[in-house]
Amino acid sequence: MGLEVAPPLVKVTGVTKRFGAITALNNVSVAFRSGEVHGLVGANGAGKSTLVKILAGAHAPDQGTVEIDGEPVVLHSTLDSRRLGFEFIYQELSLVPKFSVLQNLAMGNWKRSASGLLTWRELRGRAREVLDVLGLSEPLDEPVGHLSVADGWLVSIGRALMRDARLIAMDEPSASLSAEECDRLFGVVRGLVDSGVAVLYVSHRLDEVVDLCKTVTVFRDGRVVDTLTGDAISKSALVQGIVGNDSTIPEVVERKEVVTVQKDRPVLSVRGLRRGPLVNGVDLDIMPGEVVGLTGLVGSGRTEVVRMIFGADRPDAGEMYLDGKPYRPHSIPNAIRAGVALVPEERRSQGLFLDKSIDFNISLPTLSTLKTGPLRLVSSGRRAQQSGWMVKKLSIKTRSIQTPVRQLSGGNQQKVVMAKWLAGKCKLLLLDEASRGVDVSARAEIYALIRQQATLGTAVIVISSEFDEMANCDRVVVLREGRVVAELGTGEISEHAILAASFADHSDDHSTELSRN
Amino acid sequence: MTQTSVVIADPQSSAAPAGPRPGVTRALTIAGKYGTIIGLVAMIVLLSIAAPGTFFSTSNFVNVITQNSLIAIVACGMTLPLVVGEFDLSLGYTASFASVLCVGLMTNQGLPIPLAIVLSLAMGATVGLVNGLLVTQLGVNALIATLGTGTVVVGINYAYTNGMPINLIGNKGFLDLALGKFMGVIPNPIILVVIVVFALWLLLNRTVLGQQMQAVGGNNEAARLSGVRVERVRIWAFVIAAFCAALAGVMLASRVGSGQLTAGDGYLLASFAAVFLGSAALRDGEFHIVGTVIGVLLVGFGYNGLAILGAPTFFQYIFAGGLLIAAVALSTVARRYAGR
Repeated sequence: MGLEVAPPLVKVTGVTKRFGAITALNNVSVAFRSGEVHGLVGANGAGKSTLVKILAGAHAPDQGTVEIDGEPVVLHSTLDSRRLGFEFIYQELSLVPKFSVLQNLAMGNWKRSASGLLTWRELRGRAREVLDVLGLSEPLDEPVGHLSVADGWLVSIGRALMRDARLIAMDEPSASLSAEECDRLFGVVRGLVDSGVAVLYVSHRLDEVVDLCKTVTVFRDGRVVDTLTGDAISKSALVQGIVGNDSTIPEVVERKEVVTVQKDRPVLSVRGLRRGPLVNGVDLDIMPGEVVGLTGLVGSGRTEVVRMIFGADRPDAGEMYLDGKPYRPHSIPNAIRAGVALVPEERRSQGLFLDKSIDFNISLPTLSTLKTGPLRLVSSGRRAQQSGWMVKKLSIKTRSIQTPVRQLSGGNQQKVVMAKWLAGKCKLLLLDEASRGVDVSARAEIYALIRQQATLGTAVIVISSEFDEMANCDRVVVLREGRVVAELGTGEISEHAILAASFADHSDDHSTELSRN
Repeated sequence: MTQTSVVIADPQSSAAPAGPRPGVTRALTIAGKYGTIIGLVAMIVLLSIAAPGTFFSTSNFVNVITQNSLIAIVACGMTLPLVVGEFDLSLGYTASFASVLCVGLMTNQGLPIPLAIVLSLAMGATVGLVNGLLVTQLGVNALIATLGTGTVVVGINYAYTNGMPINLIGNKGFLDLALGKFMGVIPNPIILVVIVVFALWLLLNRTVLGQQMQAVGGNNEAARLSGVRVERVRIWAFVIAAFCAALAGVMLASRVGSGQLTAGDGYLLASFAAVFLGSAALRDGEFHIVGTVIGVLLVGFGYNGLAILGAPTFFQYIFAGGLLIAAVALSTVARRYAGR
């Protein structure tokens, strides 16, 4: 740190935050200054978001202090944070699509006249000033739903400016923007700091961070491992910090072409899969009985790829083959009938019927195979037998198959979701964050189950943000910005290697938006 | 149902989910689960004491059940849209029109009895199909869509009749449908109710479609990701509900021997009260057929008791409205406490 001229706008000292057994932030100290872009980098779950949420008043720290202009403050709520002039712009923009640009800008900034009515004329004037600053030429009465994602970001920033924000935090602002849109955004960010605002910039895209930030704080496992300023900021230094200094970064073995040992025909082949801004040409092959990890940072396109394989979204371009035959699932039932199963990302909201019994949950996809008698009724006996068998096979801990799944622990709930698909015949099992929110032993059991299923010939794709779990896979495919950037074979899988592949540059990989230095 | 006991009981999973005030939660859950049944029994006992001669008699009981058999048919049908998480406000109007149409087809168009009945039921199913398509394909809110189609049905009803009731001419056999007795003992409507209740119970609990309905109502997204064609399932719920309403309308026409323009309209409110009361019975705010039957009996005996005790008309309205609100509130509370 250089000379202390004035106290920094925000000074965080010794902040620790625990969620249950997990320490999300461990004795973190960092200072943010007015008129500076301050980058926050680190792998998924390194602590960046938790810190931002503490400043937003969404989490209270367990230990440590936050000072604003040298004065200690306690942020009880998001309202407190807003009152201090802190604004937060998240990936899911909090705009009302049907409202006009003006209405969105006015939200929360309402000014009333003496009679209690809104003074639109005044708001309109202020809004126009703000849009000028942002270089946004859209008419004020245009519904925000008609704007591009990039302009949506600018309107969000505009809303912060309406309130004379002193600090604006942006979470992955460039994730779904094109190259030109990014340029515009960066111009705005530079303009903001010139006018004295502090900008917190959270991004996985290190080139941008190097370009834009005056100070960068590197997080790893809930700690601040490095703070770089000015010329000391370089991509290699950042990667070193994110990945860890304890050993050298291993060479990433790059394989553009898929591994050769063609013992069988692949269960699934994907060629040049594209969709929207998030998936930009993915190639993938999965053999019977193979467990393939699909990983990458948040926003790298993992979930989007899997949704297309499951028929939930249609690709813009590219081919898929299942058992060598062209595979174009135009609906989810279509994909299921072809033998593809998905354990979705959000267990409670997408995977389970919480108030229904274990029996109900497990048997839903296989009901049509349990029909008997002239009326083709579902045989409750065979159904209970199947569910009971799955409960035993997956050792789901419950007294009865009639227990509502809401009463089960997270790990057992996840097993119910898996049982639902394993009860039928599936060729290809897709698991999206299957181990999220379950304890260590349940996690081990889940991976044992995956392996067991694979030995029966099922091909499995495992998506996880927990890079250390990838060691359970035969092969790991790393995505970045919607492309496969590395494939790691059995001996090469390590947290380090995945992190390095997720962040490091590849000479031949000129991604659309970056490489302007 | 078979209770297959598996794996050694685990104390953590068997413990009730931690709520804010476990005692209160338990009490409320139990009150909700058995409250409706206790209420039904208590009401019958109290009315029997209050009006021993008139209320507590076999003839009155048979009378109440027969009278409410048509509400029961509408209410059981209405249970399906509620199971998938939708409302249907058009059922009363559909029942009215079915009664008018059935008599009209015989009297005005001279169709034979079976054909008139089949066409009336088909009309009902069509209204249900339109409701289902509006809700699933155009994304119209179910309350609005069914209120709209219901009003259109009223319009068609007036257009068909010129606003005048249609009397049954000839075709006396049609009257036997509702007024006849099975084996000379049990009134036909009661037989029909038993069939409808059993069929819908089987549908909901023992068919793929019924299970998928419960899945859609339980968690639409999870159902979709499990391969359930959620739109199709919703449409079926509307079709079956409207079919049942039309069936009740046909029975109504047979009972009164004429097609009355608004005779079935009142079934809507009574059915809603019954279904919501029933949803709190035995299960925690989940709509189910057995509960609906309990709800119909509660509503039916309630009205009957009021009539026997000579309650003035204004009070019957207040009772009907109050009961509906109380029923929905009870169902909602039961569901909330089941969740935590």
